[in-house]
Amino acid sequence: MSPSDDSQLVHAYVDGELDPAHAIVVGRKIASSPELAAELEQTRALRQALREHLPPRTLPPHLRSRIEAAVGIRHRWTRPSWQALAASIAIAFVLGGGSTWAVLRPAAGDRTAAAVLDGHMRALMAPHPADMTSSERHTVKPWFNGRISQAPRVVDLAQDGFPLIGARVDVIDNTPVPTLVYGRRLHIISLSAIPDEDRGGGAAARRSINGYNVVSWHENGVSYWAASDLGVGELETFAQLFRKAPAG
Amino acid sequence: MGVGLSDEEDRKQFAGIVVPHLSEAFVVASWLTGNRTDAEDVVQEACLRAFRAISSFAGVNARAWVLTIVRHTAYSWLAKNRPSEIVAVEDFPGEERLTEQCIGGWSATVTSTPETALLAKLDVRRLEAAIAALPLAFREVLILRDVQGLEYREIAEVTTLPVGTVMSRLARARRRIIGALRTTEE
Repeated sequence: MSPSDDSQLVHAYVDGELDPAHAIVVGRKIASSPELAAELEQTRALRQALREHLPPRTLPPHLRSRIEAAVGIRHRWTRPSWQALAASIAIAFVLGGGSTWAVLRPAAGDRTAAAVLDGHMRALMAPHPADMTSSERHTVKPWFNGRISQAPRVVDLAQDGFPLIGARVDVIDNTPVPTLVYGRRLHIISLSAIPDEDRGGGAAARRSINGYNVVSWHENGVSYWAASDLGVGELETFAQLFRKAPAG
Repeated sequence: MGVGLSDEEDRKQFAGIVVPHLSEAFVVASWLTGNRTDAEDVVQEACLRAFRAISSFAGVNARAWVLTIVRHTAYSWLAKNRPSEIVAVEDFPGEERLTEQCIGGWSATVTSTPETALLAKLDVRRLEAAIAALPLAFREVLILRDVQGLEYREIAEVTTLPVGTVMSRLARARRRIIGALRTTEE
Protein backbone atom coordinates (compact mmCIF):
# COMPACT_ATOMS: atom_id res chain seq x y z
CA MET A 1 0.00 0.00 0.00
CA SER A 2 1.31 3.44 -0.86
CA PRO A 3 1.04 6.27 1.68
CA SER A 4 -1.83 7.84 -0.26
CA ASP A 5 -3.75 4.58 -0.12
CA ASP A 6 -3.27 4.48 3.64
CA SER A 7 -4.60 7.98 3.94
CA GLN A 8 -7.73 7.04 2.01
CA LEU A 9 -8.18 3.92 4.04
CA VAL A 10 -8.31 6.05 7.17
CA HIS A 11 -11.63 7.35 5.85
CA ALA A 12 -12.92 3.86 5.19
CA TYR A 13 -11.69 2.98 8.70
CA VAL A 14 -13.62 5.85 10.30
CA ASP A 15 -16.70 4.86 8.33
CA GLY A 16 -16.49 1.25 9.49
CA GLU A 17 -16.27 0.11 5.89
CA LEU A 18 -13.16 -2.09 6.20
CA ASP A 19 -13.34 -5.80 6.76
CA PRO A 20 -11.97 -6.85 10.15
CA ALA A 21 -8.55 -7.94 8.81
CA HIS A 22 -7.94 -4.64 7.03
CA ALA A 23 -9.31 -2.66 9.94
CA ILE A 24 -6.66 -4.20 12.18
CA VAL A 25 -3.88 -3.40 9.70
CA VAL A 26 -5.05 0.18 9.20
CA GLY A 27 -5.58 0.63 12.93
CA ARG A 28 -1.95 -0.32 13.54
CA LYS A 29 -0.73 2.07 10.89
CA ILE A 30 -2.72 4.88 12.43
CA ALA A 31 -1.27 4.10 15.83
CA SER A 32 2.25 4.41 14.46
CA SER A 33 1.73 7.46 12.27
CA PRO A 34 0.95 10.90 13.73
CA GLU A 35 -0.13 12.08 10.31
CA LEU A 36 -2.67 9.32 9.86
CA ALA A 37 -3.82 9.80 13.45
CA ALA A 38 -4.35 13.50 12.77
CA GLU A 39 -6.35 12.72 9.66
CA LEU A 40 -8.43 10.25 11.64
CA GLU A 41 -9.26 12.83 14.31
CA GLN A 42 -10.02 15.58 11.78
CA THR A 43 -12.28 13.27 9.86
CA ARG A 44 -14.12 12.18 12.99
CA ALA A 45 -14.62 15.81 13.98
CA LEU A 46 -15.93 16.69 10.53
CA ARG A 47 -18.27 13.72 10.43
CA GLN A 48 -19.69 14.71 13.79
CA ALA A 49 -20.09 18.33 12.69
CA LEU A 50 -21.93 17.28 9.54
CA ARG A 51 -24.17 14.92 11.44
CA GLU A 52 -25.03 17.17 14.33
CA HIS A 53 -24.62 20.78 13.36
CA LEU A 54 -25.94 21.21 9.85
CA PRO A 55 -29.37 22.82 9.96
CA PRO A 56 -31.97 20.31 8.76
CA ARG A 57 -33.38 20.90 5.30
CA THR A 58 -36.94 19.85 5.75
CA LEU A 59 -39.25 18.83 2.99
CA PRO A 60 -41.81 21.60 2.49
CA PRO A 61 -45.19 20.16 3.53
CA HIS A 62 -46.87 21.68 0.52
CA LEU A 63 -44.49 19.75 -1.72
CA ARG A 64 -45.42 16.48 -0.06
CA SER A 65 -49.11 17.25 -0.42
CA ARG A 66 -48.64 18.21 -4.05
CA ILE A 67 -46.79 15.02 -4.82
CA GLU A 68 -49.30 12.86 -3.03
CA ALA A 69 -52.15 14.62 -4.76
CA ALA A 70 -50.40 14.25 -8.08
CA VAL A 71 -50.11 10.50 -7.86
CA GLY A 72 -53.56 10.17 -6.38
CA ILE A 73 -52.66 9.45 -2.79
CA ARG A 74 -55.15 11.72 -1.13
CA HIS A 75 -55.59 12.35 2.54
CA ARG A 76 -54.25 9.11 3.81
CA TRP A 77 -55.31 10.15 7.26
CA THR A 78 -59.04 10.33 6.52
CA ARG A 79 -61.35 7.73 7.91
CA PRO A 80 -61.97 5.58 4.83
CA SER A 81 -58.31 4.95 4.18
CA TRP A 82 -57.70 4.19 7.85
CA GLN A 83 -60.39 1.56 7.65
CA ALA A 84 -58.50 0.00 4.77
CA LEU A 85 -55.34 0.23 6.81
CA ALA A 86 -57.01 -1.30 9.81
CA ALA A 87 -57.93 -4.26 7.65
CA SER A 88 -54.35 -4.72 6.57
CA ILE A 89 -53.17 -4.35 10.15
CA ALA A 90 -55.66 -6.96 11.22
CA ILE A 91 -54.00 -9.32 8.78
CA ALA A 92 -50.59 -8.37 10.14
CA PHE A 93 -51.96 -9.09 13.58
CA VAL A 94 -52.93 -12.60 12.61
CA LEU A 95 -49.60 -13.23 10.93
CA GLY A 96 -47.66 -11.64 13.77
CA GLY A 97 -48.93 -14.16 16.28
CA GLY A 98 -47.30 -14.99 19.58
CA SER A 99 -45.90 -12.88 22.41
CA THR A 100 -47.17 -9.37 22.86
CA TRP A 101 -49.79 -9.49 20.16
CA ALA A 102 -51.82 -11.75 22.39
CA VAL A 103 -52.18 -9.14 25.13
CA LEU A 104 -53.34 -6.37 22.81
CA ARG A 105 -56.94 -5.72 22.06
CA PRO A 106 -56.64 -5.70 18.30
CA ALA A 107 -59.40 -3.36 17.25
CA ALA A 108 -58.55 -0.71 19.82
CA GLY A 109 -54.81 -1.11 19.21
CA ASP A 110 -55.19 -0.74 15.47
CA ARG A 111 -57.36 2.32 15.86
CA THR A 112 -54.83 3.83 18.20
CA ALA A 113 -51.90 3.05 15.89
CA ALA A 114 -53.76 4.69 13.03
CA ALA A 115 -54.60 7.73 15.13
CA VAL A 116 -51.03 8.05 16.41
CA LEU A 117 -49.69 7.90 12.87
CA ASP A 118 -52.39 10.38 11.90
CA GLY A 119 -50.97 12.83 14.43
CA HIS A 120 -47.43 12.14 13.33
CA MET A 121 -48.20 12.73 9.66
CA ARG A 122 -50.20 15.86 10.32
CA ALA A 123 -47.24 17.15 12.28
CA LEU A 124 -44.85 16.34 9.43
CA MET A 125 -46.97 18.33 7.04
CA ALA A 126 -47.26 21.28 9.41
CA PRO A 127 -44.59 23.97 9.42
CA HIS A 128 -43.19 22.48 12.62
CA PRO A 129 -43.51 18.94 13.97
CA ALA A 130 -43.92 20.29 17.50
CA ASP A 131 -46.15 23.03 18.96
CA MET A 132 -43.44 23.99 21.40
CA THR A 133 -39.77 23.55 20.67
CA SER A 134 -37.24 22.79 23.36
CA SER A 135 -34.49 20.27 23.91
CA GLU A 136 -34.78 20.74 27.68
CA ARG A 137 -37.01 18.24 29.43
CA HIS A 138 -37.55 20.57 32.39
CA THR A 139 -39.08 23.05 29.95
CA VAL A 140 -41.08 20.52 27.98
CA LYS A 141 -42.79 18.82 30.91
CA PRO A 142 -44.35 21.94 32.47
CA TRP A 143 -45.59 23.04 29.05
CA PHE A 144 -48.26 20.35 29.31
CA ASN A 145 -49.66 21.89 32.49
CA GLY A 146 -53.11 23.24 31.80
CA ARG A 147 -53.21 21.55 28.42
CA ILE A 148 -53.74 18.01 29.59
CA SER A 149 -54.50 16.43 32.92
CA GLN A 150 -51.34 14.39 33.29
CA ALA A 151 -47.88 15.39 32.10
CA PRO A 152 -45.98 12.50 30.52
CA ARG A 153 -42.63 11.09 31.49
CA VAL A 154 -39.99 13.08 29.61
CA VAL A 155 -36.47 11.75 29.30
CA ASP A 156 -33.30 13.13 27.78
CA LEU A 157 -31.88 10.82 25.11
CA ALA A 158 -29.61 13.31 23.36
CA GLN A 159 -26.54 11.34 24.49
CA ASP A 160 -27.91 8.37 22.61
CA GLY A 161 -28.51 10.31 19.41
CA PHE A 162 -32.23 10.95 19.95
CA PRO A 163 -32.40 14.64 20.89
CA LEU A 164 -35.64 15.99 22.30
CA ILE A 165 -37.15 18.48 19.85
CA GLY A 166 -40.33 19.56 21.58
CA ALA A 167 -43.91 18.62 22.30
CA ARG A 168 -47.45 18.90 21.06
CA VAL A 169 -50.91 17.69 22.00
CA ASP A 170 -52.53 15.15 19.66
CA VAL A 171 -56.16 14.12 19.78
CA ILE A 172 -56.56 10.37 19.90
CA ASP A 173 -59.98 8.77 20.43
CA ASN A 174 -61.38 12.23 21.14
CA THR A 175 -58.91 12.64 24.00
CA PRO A 176 -56.04 15.13 24.03
CA VAL A 177 -52.83 13.23 24.71
CA PRO A 178 -49.29 14.47 25.25
CA THR A 179 -46.89 13.78 22.40
CA LEU A 180 -43.15 14.24 22.65
CA VAL A 181 -41.14 14.88 19.52
CA TYR A 182 -37.65 13.43 19.27
CA GLY A 183 -35.16 13.62 16.40
CA ARG A 184 -32.87 11.08 14.83
CA ARG A 185 -30.59 12.57 12.20
CA LEU A 186 -33.17 14.13 9.86
CA HIS A 187 -35.99 11.90 11.02
CA ILE A 188 -38.73 12.78 13.45
CA ILE A 189 -40.19 10.47 16.09
CA SER A 190 -43.58 11.22 17.65
CA LEU A 191 -44.09 9.57 21.02
CA SER A 192 -47.65 9.73 22.36
CA ALA A 193 -48.35 8.78 25.97
CA ILE A 194 -51.92 7.58 26.40
CA PRO A 195 -53.23 6.90 29.91
CA ASP A 196 -54.50 3.33 30.01
CA GLU A 197 -54.96 1.77 33.44
CA ASP A 198 -56.39 -1.49 32.16
CA ARG A 199 -53.26 -3.09 30.87
CA GLY A 200 -50.15 -4.44 32.49
CA GLY A 201 -46.62 -3.96 31.24
CA GLY A 202 -45.21 -5.90 28.35
CA ALA A 203 -42.74 -6.15 25.54
CA ALA A 204 -42.98 -3.73 22.66
CA ALA A 205 -45.24 -4.43 19.71
CA ARG A 206 -44.56 -3.15 16.26
CA ARG A 207 -46.63 -2.27 13.26
CA SER A 208 -45.70 -1.08 9.81
CA ILE A 209 -48.13 1.18 7.98
CA ASN A 210 -47.38 2.63 4.56
CA GLY A 211 -43.68 2.93 5.13
CA TYR A 212 -44.05 4.25 8.66
CA ASN A 213 -43.28 2.21 11.72
CA VAL A 214 -45.21 2.31 14.97
CA VAL A 215 -43.78 0.72 18.10
CA SER A 216 -45.94 0.55 21.22
CA TRP A 217 -45.50 -0.63 24.77
CA HIS A 218 -47.22 -0.25 28.10
CA GLU A 219 -45.89 0.62 31.50
CA ASN A 220 -47.21 2.12 34.73
CA GLY A 221 -50.70 2.71 33.43
CA VAL A 222 -49.59 4.44 30.26
CA SER A 223 -49.52 3.19 26.68
CA TYR A 224 -46.60 4.62 24.74
CA TRP A 225 -46.81 4.86 20.95
CA ALA A 226 -43.77 5.83 18.90
CA ALA A 227 -44.32 6.62 15.22
CA SER A 228 -41.62 7.43 12.67
CA ASP A 229 -40.33 6.78 9.19
CA LEU A 230 -37.18 5.43 10.85
CA GLY A 231 -36.36 1.78 10.32
CA VAL A 232 -38.05 -0.49 12.84
CA GLY A 233 -34.66 -1.43 14.33
CA GLU A 234 -33.79 2.15 15.22
CA LEU A 235 -37.30 2.86 16.45
CA GLU A 236 -37.13 -0.16 18.75
CA THR A 237 -33.75 1.04 19.99
CA PHE A 238 -35.42 4.34 20.80
CA ALA A 239 -38.19 2.53 22.65
CA GLN A 240 -35.70 0.51 24.68
CA LEU A 241 -33.68 3.60 25.59
CA PHE A 242 -36.81 5.48 26.61
CA ARG A 243 -37.94 2.63 28.81
CA LYS A 244 -34.54 2.27 30.44
CA ALA A 245 -34.00 5.98 31.04
CA PRO A 246 -34.54 7.29 34.58
CA ALA A 247 -37.89 8.97 35.10
CA GLY A 248 -37.96 12.70 34.70
CA MET B 1 -48.02 18.02 -12.50
CA GLY B 2 -50.52 15.53 -13.74
CA VAL B 3 -50.01 11.84 -14.02
CA GLY B 4 -53.35 10.94 -15.47
CA LEU B 5 -55.13 7.75 -14.73
CA SER B 6 -53.10 5.57 -12.49
CA ASP B 7 -53.38 2.09 -11.28
CA GLU B 8 -54.41 1.67 -7.67
CA GLU B 9 -51.58 -0.81 -7.23
CA ASP B 10 -49.03 1.72 -8.50
CA ARG B 11 -50.33 4.25 -6.02
CA LYS B 12 -49.93 1.83 -3.18
CA GLN B 13 -46.44 0.97 -4.35
CA PHE B 14 -45.53 4.63 -4.58
CA ALA B 15 -46.88 5.29 -1.10
CA GLY B 16 -44.83 2.42 0.29
CA ILE B 17 -41.61 2.86 -1.68
CA VAL B 18 -41.18 6.54 -2.52
CA VAL B 19 -43.16 8.55 0.03
CA PRO B 20 -41.13 7.36 3.05
CA HIS B 21 -37.98 8.73 1.36
CA LEU B 22 -39.33 12.09 0.24
CA SER B 23 -37.59 13.96 3.03
CA GLU B 24 -34.25 12.45 2.12
CA ALA B 25 -34.89 13.08 -1.56
CA PHE B 26 -35.40 16.74 -0.75
CA VAL B 27 -32.21 17.00 1.30
CA VAL B 28 -30.12 15.43 -1.46
CA ALA B 29 -31.78 17.55 -4.16
CA SER B 30 -31.24 20.73 -2.19
CA TRP B 31 -27.53 19.99 -1.77
CA LEU B 32 -27.12 19.07 -5.43
CA THR B 33 -28.99 22.08 -6.81
CA GLY B 34 -27.91 24.48 -4.09
CA ASN B 35 -31.30 25.88 -3.15
CA ARG B 36 -34.74 24.93 -1.96
CA THR B 37 -36.76 26.18 -4.88
CA ASP B 38 -34.76 24.23 -7.44
CA ALA B 39 -34.79 21.23 -5.10
CA GLU B 40 -38.59 21.29 -5.11
CA ASP B 41 -38.62 21.15 -8.90
CA VAL B 42 -36.16 18.27 -8.89
CA VAL B 43 -38.02 16.27 -6.25
CA GLN B 44 -41.31 16.76 -8.02
CA GLU B 45 -39.87 15.67 -11.34
CA ALA B 46 -38.07 12.74 -9.72
CA CYS B 47 -41.33 11.60 -8.15
CA LEU B 48 -42.99 11.65 -11.50
CA ARG B 49 -40.20 9.52 -12.93
CA ALA B 50 -40.33 7.18 -9.96
CA PHE B 51 -44.07 6.83 -10.28
CA ARG B 52 -43.82 5.96 -13.94
CA ALA B 53 -41.09 3.43 -13.21
CA ILE B 54 -42.57 2.09 -10.00
CA SER B 55 -43.28 -1.36 -11.40
CA SER B 56 -39.60 -1.73 -12.34
CA PHE B 57 -38.48 -1.43 -8.72
CA ALA B 58 -36.67 -4.66 -7.91
CA GLY B 59 -37.68 -4.63 -4.27
CA VAL B 60 -34.23 -4.56 -2.72
CA ASN B 61 -33.30 -1.10 -1.48
CA ALA B 62 -36.07 1.47 -1.87
CA ARG B 63 -33.96 4.25 -0.45
CA ALA B 64 -31.10 3.74 -2.91
CA TRP B 65 -33.59 3.38 -5.76
CA VAL B 66 -35.31 6.65 -4.91
CA LEU B 67 -32.04 8.52 -4.41
CA THR B 68 -30.71 7.18 -7.72
CA ILE B 69 -33.69 8.70 -9.50
CA VAL B 70 -33.32 11.96 -7.59
CA ARG B 71 -29.65 12.17 -8.52
CA HIS B 72 -30.40 11.45 -12.19
CA THR B 73 -33.09 14.09 -12.22
CA ALA B 74 -30.81 16.62 -10.53
CA TYR B 75 -28.13 15.98 -13.12
CA SER B 76 -30.61 16.47 -15.96
CA TRP B 77 -31.82 19.62 -14.30
CA LEU B 78 -28.28 20.96 -13.84
CA ALA B 79 -27.31 20.06 -17.42
CA LYS B 80 -30.22 22.13 -18.63
CA ASN B 81 -30.03 25.05 -16.22
CA ARG B 82 -26.45 25.20 -15.00
CA PRO B 83 -24.25 23.20 -17.38
CA SER B 84 -21.06 24.63 -15.89
CA GLU B 85 -21.73 22.57 -12.72
CA ILE B 86 -21.37 19.32 -14.58
CA VAL B 87 -17.63 18.86 -14.84
CA ALA B 88 -16.16 15.77 -16.42
CA VAL B 89 -14.12 13.58 -14.10
CA GLU B 90 -10.99 14.09 -16.26
CA ASP B 91 -11.06 17.70 -15.15
CA PHE B 92 -10.07 16.68 -11.64
CA PRO B 93 -6.40 15.76 -11.77
CA GLY B 94 -5.62 12.70 -9.72
CA GLU B 95 -9.25 11.73 -9.42
CA GLU B 96 -8.60 7.99 -9.34
CA ARG B 97 -5.33 8.06 -7.46
CA LEU B 98 -4.29 10.49 -4.80
CA THR B 99 -1.00 12.12 -5.62
CA GLU B 100 1.84 12.58 -3.20
CA GLN B 101 1.55 16.29 -3.70
CA CYS B 102 -2.01 16.32 -2.45
CA ILE B 103 -1.17 14.25 0.58
CA GLY B 104 2.02 16.18 1.33
CA GLY B 105 0.26 19.53 1.44
CA TRP B 106 -2.39 18.05 3.63
CA SER B 107 -0.11 16.42 6.14
CA ALA B 108 1.97 19.53 6.67
CA THR B 109 -1.02 21.46 7.94
CA VAL B 110 -2.75 18.60 9.70
CA THR B 111 0.00 17.89 12.17
CA SER B 112 0.28 21.51 13.23
CA THR B 113 -3.35 21.90 14.29
CA PRO B 114 -5.00 20.53 17.43
CA GLU B 115 -7.46 17.88 16.32
CA THR B 116 -10.44 19.33 18.02
CA ALA B 117 -9.99 22.95 16.90
CA LEU B 118 -12.07 22.32 13.81
CA LEU B 119 -15.14 21.39 15.76
CA ALA B 120 -14.63 23.68 18.72
CA LYS B 121 -14.77 26.80 16.59
CA LEU B 122 -17.26 25.50 14.09
CA ASP B 123 -19.24 28.10 12.23
CA VAL B 124 -22.17 26.36 10.59
CA ARG B 125 -22.52 28.90 7.80
CA ARG B 126 -18.90 28.43 6.82
CA LEU B 127 -19.35 24.70 6.87
CA GLU B 128 -22.36 24.99 4.57
CA ALA B 129 -20.49 27.34 2.26
CA ALA B 130 -17.55 24.93 2.11
CA ILE B 131 -19.86 22.08 1.11
CA ALA B 132 -21.62 24.23 -1.48
CA ALA B 133 -18.25 25.17 -2.97
CA LEU B 134 -17.28 21.53 -3.53
CA PRO B 135 -17.39 20.30 -7.12
CA LEU B 136 -20.60 18.35 -7.67
CA ALA B 137 -18.76 15.02 -8.02
CA PHE B 138 -17.32 15.38 -4.52
CA ARG B 139 -20.31 17.08 -2.97
CA GLU B 140 -22.76 14.32 -3.81
CA VAL B 141 -20.57 11.64 -2.27
CA LEU B 142 -20.05 13.68 0.90
CA ILE B 143 -23.77 14.39 1.26
CA LEU B 144 -24.79 10.80 0.67
CA ARG B 145 -22.29 9.53 3.22
CA ASP B 146 -21.94 12.14 5.94
CA VAL B 147 -25.37 13.77 5.87
CA GLN B 148 -27.58 10.90 4.74
CA GLY B 149 -25.51 8.09 6.23
CA LEU B 150 -25.47 5.76 3.21
CA GLU B 151 -22.90 2.98 3.10
CA TYR B 152 -20.18 3.04 0.41
CA ARG B 153 -21.94 0.20 -1.37
CA GLU B 154 -25.20 2.15 -1.50
CA ILE B 155 -23.44 5.31 -2.70
CA ALA B 156 -21.80 3.25 -5.45
CA GLU B 157 -25.27 2.04 -6.42
CA VAL B 158 -26.77 5.53 -6.47
CA THR B 159 -23.89 7.17 -8.34
CA THR B 160 -22.94 4.14 -10.50
CA LEU B 161 -19.32 4.62 -9.42
CA PRO B 162 -16.96 1.85 -8.32
CA VAL B 163 -16.68 1.59 -4.51
CA GLY B 164 -12.99 2.53 -4.71
CA THR B 165 -13.88 5.78 -6.44
CA VAL B 166 -16.53 6.50 -3.84
CA MET B 167 -13.89 6.09 -1.16
CA SER B 168 -11.31 8.32 -2.88
CA ARG B 169 -13.83 11.05 -3.68
CA LEU B 170 -15.15 10.99 -0.14
CA ALA B 171 -11.61 11.32 1.25
CA ARG B 172 -10.90 14.24 -1.06
CA ALA B 173 -14.21 15.92 -0.33
CA ARG B 174 -13.60 15.77 3.41
CA ARG B 175 -10.07 17.10 3.05
CA ARG B 176 -11.29 20.00 0.96
CA ILE B 177 -13.88 20.89 3.58
CA ILE B 178 -11.38 20.72 6.41
CA GLY B 179 -8.91 22.72 4.33
CA ALA B 180 -11.53 25.34 3.52
CA LEU B 181 -12.58 25.66 7.16
CA ARG B 182 -8.99 26.12 8.19
CA THR B 183 -8.23 28.68 5.49
CA THR B 184 -11.20 30.89 6.22
CA GLU B 185 -10.42 30.69 9.90
CA GLU B 186 -7.07 32.41 9.53
